[in-house]
Amino acid sequence: MVGLSIGEKHFIQGGIAQDLRSDGRKRLTTRPIYVETGVISQANGSARVRMGATDVIASVKAELGRPNALQPDKGKVVVNVDCSPTAAPMFEGRGGEELSAELSVALQRCLLGGKSGSGAGIDLSSLVVVEGKICWDLYIDGLVVSSDGNLLDALGAAIKAALSNTGIPKVNVAAGASGDEQPEVDVSDEEFLQFDTSRVPVIVTLTKVGRHYIVDATSEEESQMCLAVSISINRQGHICGLAKRGGAGLDPSIILDMISVAKTVSEQLINTLDSHIAAAEAGEEES
Amino acid sequence: MAGKGGATPSTYSPSPTTQKTKSLSFGNDDVLRPDDREWHQCRPAFFQIGVVAAAAGSAYADFGSTKVIVSVFGPRESKKAMMYSDIGRLNCNVSYTTFATPVRGQGSDHKEFSSMLHKALEGAIILETFPKTTVDVFALVLESGGSDLPVVISCASLALADAGIMMYDLVTSVSVSFLGKNLVLDPTLEEESYQDGSLILTWMPSRNKVTQLTITGEWSTPKINEGMKICMDACSKFSQIMKSCLKGLDSALEEEDSNVD
Repeated sequence: MVGLSIGEKHFIQGGIAQDLRSDGRKRLTTRPIYVETGVISQANGSARVRMGATDVIASVKAELGRPNALQPDKGKVVVNVDCSPTAAPMFEGRGGEELSAELSVALQRCLLGGKSGSGAGIDLSSLVVVEGKICWDLYIDGLVVSSDGNLLDALGAAIKAALSNTGIPKVNVAAGASGDEQPEVDVSDEEFLQFDTSRVPVIVTLTKVGRHYIVDATSEEESQMCLAVSISINRQGHICGLAKRGGAGLDPSIILDMISVAKTVSEQLINTLDSHIAAAEAGEEES
Repeated sequence: MAGKGGATPSTYSPSPTTQKTKSLSFGNDDVLRPDDREWHQCRPAFFQIGVVAAAAGSAYADFGSTKVIVSVFGPRESKKAMMYSDIGRLNCNVSYTTFATPVRGQGSDHKEFSSMLHKALEGAIILETFPKTTVDVFALVLESGGSDLPVVISCASLALADAGIMMYDLVTSVSVSFLGKNLVLDPTLEEESYQDGSLILTWMPSRNKVTQLTITGEWSTPKINEGMKICMDACSKFSQIMKSCLKGLDSALEEEDSNVD
C-alpha cells in the first residue's frame, strides 16, 4: 500500500483535474517504454518491458503435449503471472496470489478470445503438429520484478514482445505411425518457425480518478482511483476483452466514451511497441 | 431431471461429437434457438427468498436449467488477524456441486467467479453501515445450465436484500453471447460452448450504474453498444421480478418475455 498524506492526495487529484500529473504528463500520455527481447536464454522467447519504475519480464516456453480430447485441432496456452516479493513486501507468501490470479485471468482472456477461438490473439490451431495426437503447449509466464502501477498493460506489452521473439522448433513427424499409436517426432534444434503476433492485442487501462480518467497510472495514482477499466484492442481496432476493477458504478455512456479513448491510445501504443520490438530484435541479432 | 430418459435406461455420457452437429444451425438467421427462444429472449426466471433457515438471508434462483442458491451470513465480527477497518468487509465464495456440470467435478474451472462476484457486489453495498465486521456471501451452483455467473450475481443481491444489508440498489446481471452474426441473450451451456465472444453486464437499474462489465472475444464498438442495450433492457425487467419477489407479491413462477426490437 502506498502511504500518502492528505496533502499529497489532494496534489495528485488536483493535478489530474487540471491535466497536469505529478510527473509532468498529461492525462492521456504514457510513460516512455523500454523493450528488451531475448533476455532469458532458456526460454523459446522472452522480453523485458519497463514503463517508468514498473519492470516486468515475460517468457514463452513451448513443450510438446497432447491436445485436449474435446478440441483435437487446437494447441494449449497457459498464462501464469508471478508477483515476486522483491517487487513489494506485500507480495510475500500468499499476499501476491490474488493479484497474480487476477492478472493471469485477464491476460488469458485477452489472448485467447471467445470459447470458439474467434478473436484470439494466438491462433491455437497453428500449434497443432499432428491432429488429435501432438500439439505445442505454450507456457507464457509473466514476472513482476518491480511494481509502479499499470502492471496489466506492461505485462500485455511484454507478452506481445516475447511472442514476437519466440521461435518454435520445426517438428518432423516420422511417417508410418498409424491408428492409435503416438507418432514419433524429431524436434529440430536448428530450424525455427516465427510466431505470427500481428493479432496479439495490446491492453490499455484507463484509471478513473475523481471525474477524469488517465492512462498508465503510477501506483500513487492507482491508490487514488475509484475504478479502472482495462480494454484490450488489436490492430484492427476491435475490442478483444474488457474488464473492470474497483467498486464504484459507472454510467453506461461513459464506458463507450472510454472505449473510444482507449482506441486512440492503443493505436499509438501498438506503433511505439512495434518499433521498439523491431529495434530490440535488431539489437539482439547484432550483439 | 434424471427421469427424463424414460424408456431407455442406458447410461448417458456426454461426448463432443454428438453436440457438434447442432452448432451448424447457429449461423442461420431464421432458425430458432435449441429451446425455441427468440434471440433476445430470456429463459423463464424464478426467484425465491428465505430458503435457508440458518442464514441471515438467502435466495434461490433458477433460469431454465441453471439453478443457484445463495446464503448471506453476518455481519459478524471480522477475524482478529484482519486490520482495523472503518468500513465493512465483503467475503464472497462461489462453488459448484460436483454434479452441477455435464462432466463430474468440472465446476472447479471457475475459480475467478468468487472475485468477480465480489467486484460486482461491492459497488452496491453501503459498507460504511457495518464497520469492523464482515458479511459472508456463499453461492452454490446446484446445476450449471449456462450464464451461471449472472444468475449468481442477481441471486446474491436478492439474498443480501433479504438479510437486510443496506444497498444502494438491487444488482442485476445478464450476459449475451456472440454466435456467428447474432447476439444471443441469456445463453445456455450449449450456446456458450460455441460462442465467439461474451459480454456480462452487471447493472444497478434505478441508479443507471454499471458495477461490472466483462467482455471476451472480438467485438466492434457498435456491437458492444447493442449488447449493452439488450442487457440493460433485460436487467430492468429482472429487477421488477426481484422487487416483487422481495415484497412477497408472488412466489409463483414468473414467465419473462423480454423481446427487444
